[in-house]
Amino acid sequence: MSGTALRSNDLALGLIGTLAVILLWETSVRTGLIDPAVFPSPSLAIAAASERLTARQLGENLSWSLARVFSGFALGALAGVLVGVLAGWYRRFGLVVSPLVELLRPIPPLAWIPLAIIWFGLGEPSKFFIIFLGAFFPVVTAAYQGMRSVDPMLLRAGQTMGLSGVPLLLRVAIPAAAPDLATGLRIGWGLSFGVLVAAELIAADRGLGYMIIAERNAGGSVGVIIVGILLIGALNLLTDAAIGVAIRHWVGRWHGS
Amino acid sequence: MSCAGDISMREPDATPQAGRRTRAPFIRIEAVHKAFAARQGGELMVLDSIDLDIAENEFVSLIGRSGCGKTTLLNIIAGLDAATSGRIAIGERPVTGPGQGQGVVFQQHALFPWLTALGNVSFGFRKAGLPLEERRERSLELLRLVGLEAAANKYPREMSGGMQQRVSIARALALDPQILLMDEPFGALDELTRIELQQELLRIWQARRKTVVFVTHSIDEALMLSDRIVLLAPNPGRIQRIFEVPMPRPRSRTEPAFNALYDEIWSELSS
Repeated sequence: MSGTALRSNDLALGLIGTLAVILLWETSVRTGLIDPAVFPSPSLAIAAASERLTARQLGENLSWSLARVFSGFALGALAGVLVGVLAGWYRRFGLVVSPLVELLRPIPPLAWIPLAIIWFGLGEPSKFFIIFLGAFFPVVTAAYQGMRSVDPMLLRAGQTMGLSGVPLLLRVAIPAAAPDLATGLRIGWGLSFGVLVAAELIAADRGLGYMIIAERNAGGSVGVIIVGILLIGALNLLTDAAIGVAIRHWVGRWHGS
Repeated sequence: MSCAGDISMREPDATPQAGRRTRAPFIRIEAVHKAFAARQGGELMVLDSIDLDIAENEFVSLIGRSGCGKTTLLNIIAGLDAATSGRIAIGERPVTGPGQGQGVVFQQHALFPWLTALGNVSFGFRKAGLPLEERRERSLELLRLVGLEAAANKYPREMSGGMQQRVSIARALALDPQILLMDEPFGALDELTRIELQQELLRIWQARRKTVVFVTHSIDEALMLSDRIVLLAPNPGRIQRIFEVPMPRPRSRTEPAFNALYDEIWSELSS
């Protein structure tokens, strides 16, 4: 009981901080301390956004962004899990693959953008590629590390029950590495989200990133840009929290939190 | 000197070879050597010409100082490790790997943390290809045998060390093994739990009639449980002496024969 009380108390303190900053922001604009044309107050920003954007436009941009990040992440994560697990399980394959991954991993996904445009043009494939990279590297690294650190005791226990090869991999090694896989997937999702907007800023005709940059290019309202930014943040926050809950439900029961 | 010394303890009609018994051998260990590649080149001899026969339904303990190779020997019988040379057979069949009728109970942390007690036990049944419902039934029966039916849906991290080891025993029994190999299964438990589990193990062993090879570093534990105690000497690991434990079960730690044998093993161990 005292634990939950403490937690809701912590939450209240956090909310107080956030509300205080919003209040300070609002009042500094209203009192003329900040020029609303450069940095409008929250109420002005929302007013401007609701004036310039229809709910339908907003929903369309939002769903495009989500669809992009979902598809890029899904494939990047799948490839990451596959390569990471196999590299961790098959020693030789790991020795061949891991230096390559280590060499490419430090390159920020955004640095690939020029190449992506040359290879895939300005359409969806180039964005997909960037988001794919954002998910792939954290997931492949976590999967590889997770597989390498599976307790050998569990593998031996599996062997004593007559398992070897692929069944041992599927029924013992991968479940044992699941907590690391889950962490990798969560980090990968965050990174996919991070590069999504950048990809959309460069060349797109739909999506939240596009919405922001189009507003700037059209010399429209700063309020729309601010609302767009905050929306992206909120979306990332919500999906990350959802993944967090899913992970706790999946591995938390047996792994602890 | 590797295989002398147990003459005084053996039945009068036994052959003069150490480790040979008059009953038909069930586990036959012949001239087993194990060497690892040493770091500075060359070889590190871990086991040196181990000869040991174990009869069916016999309870044998391996005891000795760390480095005497008792766990290595157990792993070789389990098929988890290969002998450098020598032969091991269970029944008439040579051991070529794990899962050939050997059930293994490890010291600790060998339960699958993502499965419940029930899930861990029924894991052992999977290979037999039983239908789900029957696996469940039989797993529950084994949990009942180890006194843990009520904890069927608990995950390992929610169980005490003693409970985890009970589940480990049930999981090993699920394979319906011919032999049960136990590597210091109670070594990480507190004294009271350990004594409790020793009694449980004897009860299970008597109910299910298994051949047990039990690694321990406790003379007391070996004396409470075993028909024979094999004392291994270190560097390289070899059989120093084999003790018969003639006292009927249940044994008492206070009976004179128990203490006399304890002293004898201790003096042999510290010589």
